[in-house]
Amino acid sequence: MKNVKGIFRGFTGVRPKARSTIQSSALKENATGFLFLLPALIVLGLFLFIPAMMSLYYSFTDYYMLTPDLTEFIGLENFRTLLSDATFRTSVGNIFQFVLFIMPIQVGTALGLALLVNRSRRGTMFYKIAYFSPVVMSLVVVSVLWLYILNPASGLLNEILQTIGLPAQPFLSSPNQAMYVIIFVSAWQGAGYQMLIFLAGLQNIPEEVYEASTIDGANKWQQFLNVTLPMLKPTSLLILTTTLIDAFKLIIQPMVMTQGGPLNSTLTPVYYIFRTGFTDRQIGFASALTVMYGGIIIIFTVLQRKFVGGDKNE
Amino acid sequence: MKKMSKYFMLMSSAALLAACGNGESDSDTASNGETESAASDEVTVWVQYSEESAEGQVMVESIEEFNETNEQGITAVVEYIPRSGSGGGYEDKINAALTTSSLPDVITLDGPNTAAYANSQIIQPLDEYLSDTEDFLPSIIEQGTYNDELYSVGYSESGVGFFYNRTMLEEAGVDLETLPTVENPWTWDEFNGLLDTLATNHDGPVLNMGFDDQSEWLLYAFSPYVWSAGGEITNEAGTEAVGYFDSEETVSAFDFIQNLVEEGYSTITPVEKGFHTGEYPLYMSGSWTMQELNNEYEDIDYGIMPYPVSPETNELVSPTGSWAYGMTSSTDKPEAAGALIEFLTSEQELYDMSMGNSVLPARQSVADRMLEEVEEPMQVLIEQNSKTGRARPTLINYPQVSRTFQETVTESTYFEQNQDLESLLETKAQEIETHLE
Amino acid sequence: MNNKTTSFLYHFLSILLAILFIFPLIWMLVSSMKPEAAIYSDMGSLEAFLPSMNVSEWLMPYREIFNRFNIIRYLGNSIFYALSVTAGSIIINSLAGYAFATIDFKGKKLLFGLMIALLVIPGETIIITKFVITERLGILNTPLAVILPLLATPLYIYMFTIFFRAISTELQEAAMLEGATKFKIYWKIMLPMSKPAIATVGTLSFIMSWNDYIWPLMVLTDSETYPLQVAITNINNTQPVYTNQVMAILTISTIPLILIYVFFQKHLVQGLSSSGTGVK
Repeated sequence: MKNVKGIFRGFTGVRPKARSTIQSSALKENATGFLFLLPALIVLGLFLFIPAMMSLYYSFTDYYMLTPDLTEFIGLENFRTLLSDATFRTSVGNIFQFVLFIMPIQVGTALGLALLVNRSRRGTMFYKIAYFSPVVMSLVVVSVLWLYILNPASGLLNEILQTIGLPAQPFLSSPNQAMYVIIFVSAWQGAGYQMLIFLAGLQNIPEEVYEASTIDGANKWQQFLNVTLPMLKPTSLLILTTTLIDAFKLIIQPMVMTQGGPLNSTLTPVYYIFRTGFTDRQIGFASALTVMYGGIIIIFTVLQRKFVGGDKNE
Repeated sequence: MKKMSKYFMLMSSAALLAACGNGESDSDTASNGETESAASDEVTVWVQYSEESAEGQVMVESIEEFNETNEQGITAVVEYIPRSGSGGGYEDKINAALTTSSLPDVITLDGPNTAAYANSQIIQPLDEYLSDTEDFLPSIIEQGTYNDELYSVGYSESGVGFFYNRTMLEEAGVDLETLPTVENPWTWDEFNGLLDTLATNHDGPVLNMGFDDQSEWLLYAFSPYVWSAGGEITNEAGTEAVGYFDSEETVSAFDFIQNLVEEGYSTITPVEKGFHTGEYPLYMSGSWTMQELNNEYEDIDYGIMPYPVSPETNELVSPTGSWAYGMTSSTDKPEAAGALIEFLTSEQELYDMSMGNSVLPARQSVADRMLEEVEEPMQVLIEQNSKTGRARPTLINYPQVSRTFQETVTESTYFEQNQDLESLLETKAQEIETHLE
Repeated sequence: MNNKTTSFLYHFLSILLAILFIFPLIWMLVSSMKPEAAIYSDMGSLEAFLPSMNVSEWLMPYREIFNRFNIIRYLGNSIFYALSVTAGSIIINSLAGYAFATIDFKGKKLLFGLMIALLVIPGETIIITKFVITERLGILNTPLAVILPLLATPLYIYMFTIFFRAISTELQEAAMLEGATKFKIYWKIMLPMSKPAIATVGTLSFIMSWNDYIWPLMVLTDSETYPLQVAITNINNTQPVYTNQVMAILTISTIPLILIYVFFQKHLVQGLSSSGTGVK
């Protein structure tokens, strides 16, 4: 542990070079690289890549869940059906609405919480447990409680609204408001997760950097802008990317709280895929939906990385 | 990298081939998938509840008894696979077993799955293995029949009635002696009269109908209104919905449902356990609510009344449905599997299942026997069930049809946007028709 | 004065936020300590956040649950699966992250891109094909079938990659000049320096395994080997559902998660903090 301190002495605030300057034969690097990767490659290959490739294949078939043996290759038929599928379009529209709001709200909250926790001197552990607790809570508890609070007739929130002279709101029973409620509950539930990752990032920032900037006369706000944020860039990129992907994969909250309703206003693509594949048993068509939707997510993830400033070392 | 991608391609194509060609690979999957049932006299059953549940406890005893008493020397083995929600988990397991040809000999299935399972030849007809089928309730036979053959046998029934809070009704000046019975049900108009009386004495909605449960409940509990009016979801062959689901009769049923919300009698956002805590005097719910009330809410003095009927027909129709036993087509010992199903659906076993689990009986003889032993609210449900129960339609694409029905109920309760029920039902009838064969 | 006001505001905000986030946890705990009817009659008043006034009722829901289910066995199974997944996941994901962060090998860019692409696959949609693979491997009905698929996760590899990259190369280079192998550098330098990352991945892996329900049910047939989630689902879906019993089993299931979180966060991260590096 003693050596560790020394490492940061030489810290310059510049991104470390991923490329080792030590010359070693390319062949040996290749072999070592693969050796380190091998366990992960085997697991991911078997349980993620191959199943995904199989889904890709199924998207060109009429696979019906109950008759796997009768599956036939039908070319692009599923994709033709998909293009005129109004429900799928609705669900994609819904998810864009969700993503647009959840990204700033959830990531902002997470960063705020991480800074709060990182700053506190006393009770850190209590705050950490409090903010993280929605992540480990069962969705049953969380949704029952929120449904109670948001009940339009007898819920706590409407009582508060009425006390301060505002009209009662329909919340989840309104096709116009339901998605915003889902956005709020999702951000509330997920922020602790990103907070944890932000914290890990914050704790990786060496104290020396802050000390240096204090000597230079920077105030707290300048420190945040000029030290914390730039140093958090890799962590932020990680969080933005994964939050975006997770947001696109939204399924549980609408499933538990609204079953996609009212009037399909909270039906998300993954929920729709799940329903098509497992309730309606149309695995072939559901696979085509997955492929199409996967394409959409990848495009947006790449765009976001370009926009935020991608990582050159990858 | 080249090497790596080649390796991946190889692996994935091998897996693809394996997955697509699993029809021919029965021999090798049998060796690891069905090791337990390899013995010639052993029959494996999958059930959708856990060993510790009330159903599980009855099952443990039944199987013990079967293994000791059957004369063919069959040993039955049960695997308990608790489901989540409407069947998730358990059904995923059945679906997964299909891809690897590793189904057991006997499975349980949710009644509405009968058509799809039979059509896909997952299960086979049971007629020749069962002797005493006349005694089953008509709804059990309806639910299990596909193409004129009996494919599944429900081992219990379920039903729905209107729970009423005696105290609250009396306070509103209702004479409890005048409430309807299965013999003398109320028409929708008479029922609305009660709601009106209650509403004048009560702040807010008086009836919880579970409109917030946007799931199978909405078809299960609300289709009887359509049937009572003389409407239908599809024609008898299950091939057409236009002309049936948008008929005048169907419209009248949805008009009744819509009116309940529009008049403020019921609500799309009920308070959870509102009946249990004295918030609502009326609650449309199933037999399980009796257990909750008896065990945890003893101060609520309640009774149950039957469904109201369409004033045009005066015909009482009530919902039914249950999980059922089916024999897989892949079993190599149909005789033994048949003997087990025959045993499990015999009068004594069904009696034990219904009493042990507080559910409605599936046989007329069990119903007669239970009527003597249970309390009055349960009697109402048993009587309503055996005399007026109707099974949900047997359709291959039942899930899609059910969802469209559910959406129709929900949309009609948004009465401001859907005043024109006729055009709503026309659209929905066409949508249902796209899911029919 | 100014400083005091800020400090007060800061604490006030923290506590307000903490309440907003923690109240379901409290509600779950107290609801598991009263009769079901009380849960619903207390709703809407502050009593909703207090346990039963009658202390003898506190343990009743728990007693009923322990009577209905072999909780100890389920709990043991869950702990075994979750600990195996956590240990394996930390090692396998960090090995891969190390390779991506510091080793320059052919096809790295492509593999990394592929891994990010794998992130977008919704796990729910490939469960059947995953089962087919598991069956072909011949590991159905073994703990391996539950544990193995959770051992590598693109997200965690990505996280380790990011954190390893942030560690200066100088020490690694120095170690290399002294003739240390890549593995030794990984084991002796990189891992000990990534405690926040290990704590994060460890916590998240444990939670992921702990909450897994459908997959274990699919690949296991012997109910002796089921995890706790199966009992939870059962209590929650077998009519009649008693809310106080649901809350009791959920409390039993949540406590280990909180404990593991505290363990990883406090002991791992503060261990680093006390050595005075990198953390304030």
